[in-house]
Amino acid sequence: MTLSDPQAPAGKLSRPAIEIDNLNKWFGSYHALRDVSLTVGEQEIMVVCGPSGSGKSTLIRCLNHLEEYQEGRICVFGQELARDQKSDRFIHQTMGMVFQNFNLFPHLTVLQNCTLGLTWLRKKTENEARDIAMGLLERVGIEHLADRFPGQLSGGQQQRVAISRSLAMDPKIMLFDEPTSALDPEMVKEVLDVMVKLAETGMTMVCVTHEMQFARQVADRVVFMQDGEIVEVGPPEQVLLHPQWDRTREFLDHIL
Amino acid sequence: MSEQDLKHFVPTPPRLPARNEQNLRHRIQKQCFNNIGNSLLTISVLVLIYYVAKSFLDWAVFNAVWDAATRRECLDISPDGACWAGVIDWFNGLIYGRYPDEEQWRVNSGVVMALLWLLPLMSQRIAYRNSILISWITLYPFLGAYMFLGGTFGQDVGIIHMVFTSLAAGYFILLYLNWVLCAAGQSSLPEMVTPLTSKLFRRGQHMTGFLLVWGFLSILCGVVLAQMHLEPVPVDHWGGLFLTLIIASFAITMSIPVGILLALGRRSKLPVIHWLSMMLIELVRAVPLITVLFMAVTLLPIFLPSGAEPDKLSQVLFAVCLFAGAYMAENIRGGLQAIPDGQYEAAQTLGLGYWLTMGLIILPQAMRLMIPNIMTSFISMLKDTTLVSIIGLFDIMLMARNISNDKNWIGLHTEPLALISILFFVMCYGMSQYSLNLEKRLKAHRS
Repeated sequence: MTLSDPQAPAGKLSRPAIEIDNLNKWFGSYHALRDVSLTVGEQEIMVVCGPSGSGKSTLIRCLNHLEEYQEGRICVFGQELARDQKSDRFIHQTMGMVFQNFNLFPHLTVLQNCTLGLTWLRKKTENEARDIAMGLLERVGIEHLADRFPGQLSGGQQQRVAISRSLAMDPKIMLFDEPTSALDPEMVKEVLDVMVKLAETGMTMVCVTHEMQFARQVADRVVFMQDGEIVEVGPPEQVLLHPQWDRTREFLDHIL
Repeated sequence: MSEQDLKHFVPTPPRLPARNEQNLRHRIQKQCFNNIGNSLLTISVLVLIYYVAKSFLDWAVFNAVWDAATRRECLDISPDGACWAGVIDWFNGLIYGRYPDEEQWRVNSGVVMALLWLLPLMSQRIAYRNSILISWITLYPFLGAYMFLGGTFGQDVGIIHMVFTSLAAGYFILLYLNWVLCAAGQSSLPEMVTPLTSKLFRRGQHMTGFLLVWGFLSILCGVVLAQMHLEPVPVDHWGGLFLTLIIASFAITMSIPVGILLALGRRSKLPVIHWLSMMLIELVRAVPLITVLFMAVTLLPIFLPSGAEPDKLSQVLFAVCLFAGAYMAENIRGGLQAIPDGQYEAAQTLGLGYWLTMGLIILPQAMRLMIPNIMTSFISMLKDTTLVSIIGLFDIMLMARNISNDKNWIGLHTEPLALISILFFVMCYGMSQYSLNLEKRLKAHRS
């Protein structure tokens, strides 16, 4: 299968993971996404940036069925998503998501947060689930906090728990919705380090983030959005260093 | 600037705050007698407390009569003291109603069994604590009903009731055998039969082991119970505190599941379920409990086919359960609204469906938030059950009023009511303390 996207870097994209075709979404009468078309290849790391209100969070929430959309279509590994059906088993088995506000379950311990899906949905025994979860917590460097409650952890630690909770379900694609925006500057790095490590394992990732350093380091392509439209797509050095559009330049001047 | 030029930061060692050295005398002086107005206020309040306490204690303790045959005798001994003799004479009636004296051990042992069933919940070491609670709600009522109603297996006890009573008795014995074995450091009974079950079944050995042992014990209990004969005591003879507790505990335990279903129904996106739940909640909440009770007693028999008319207690239980459930539904809905959307989204992205999301993520958090409100509901339900005396159930209130109709104790109103007040205060205060304790325990590991 070949990709029609001219901006796609050659070689890495053997097969598309996500295909978005003319996606349109309205909140009431507000046109939030306007004719968005984008293809994310398998193992690709895509960074989505843009000013607030540009529709970047809405876009990745649509991918994960957290929002309905009215026009266009989204295919994940060739399977088309229903537009309105809110809970889709296939999608939730394929994609994990990390939120800006972590959204950990505060009444469960760190370990229980990670094993919940394994025991109830994947029908693992308690010991199997525990082993898997402890392995993941070790990977993000917080295995010593497994029996604490989320409220006792710092923001950076909570976000790392959230990442392991998603990874426990063994997703093919990981979506990150501004994972570092709610963190103190000193904690941003520990979360980004985990994401960089994850990128190195060959995970397909779509990240909404303002961390341009991260984008330059690991992204295969950067998407710049404005007013619900994709303005520019391309390799990071092109979009970040030599943007084609004045709006991109203006945005980058503000955040760099 | 190079490394050497930077000053090295050393944190100041922490110290404790200066202790307030004032003793109690100083504090009282400072807070109660710091000026003339406050001193006068303190003194007059103390005088008031003294007079109230003195006149109450004079009536209730110092001038009281504890031993007399009739009210007249009481008044002759001490005209302005309490006549506790009447209450003592009627004490059995207040507790058991008209339950026959020689059968009252069944009420006692039934209640003790209910408490013993719940006792393991206190221990943090017991696994599957939820299943104990669920078994108490689903199985214990059959065992309790058998104890209280009496009868003989196969004659007055129906086949379904027989089976569930045996299952309940079997579970109860299994629970305690396991606890004893656990305390003795042994493996539990289901684990002991695992070698046997593993030969028969490949999957779910623990579960089948448990079912096997439970089934065996239940059959054993059924055989033993079938040999026994308990004198039948019809529901009309139940009464007193015993009946009050049955109605209240039924209302309290049923209000949670009914309330959860109604609250979820009211938030449902399916219009039929939404409107039905909302109508039921609003209708029941807009009507006084007495009306609901009267409706249950007078209207329910009309809807049911003639001959299938349930006894008055079942009708009252149904009404109280509906009433308590509607109130609980609104409490729980309040808790549900306090849960941020992010929790639903996180659960959804993990792939948890509606019931798992509610059961594992949302409801546990919502219920914790609402503990004070839920406990307030429980307490008011316990007190509201005294209304059933109006439709002629001999609960503790009606028994108390009956004392003053007894020809020996004509006009004895105050003392029984005082006793009831004390009893209710002890129960309600206990519940409220328990809820405070629960809150503290659950809050301990958040933040």
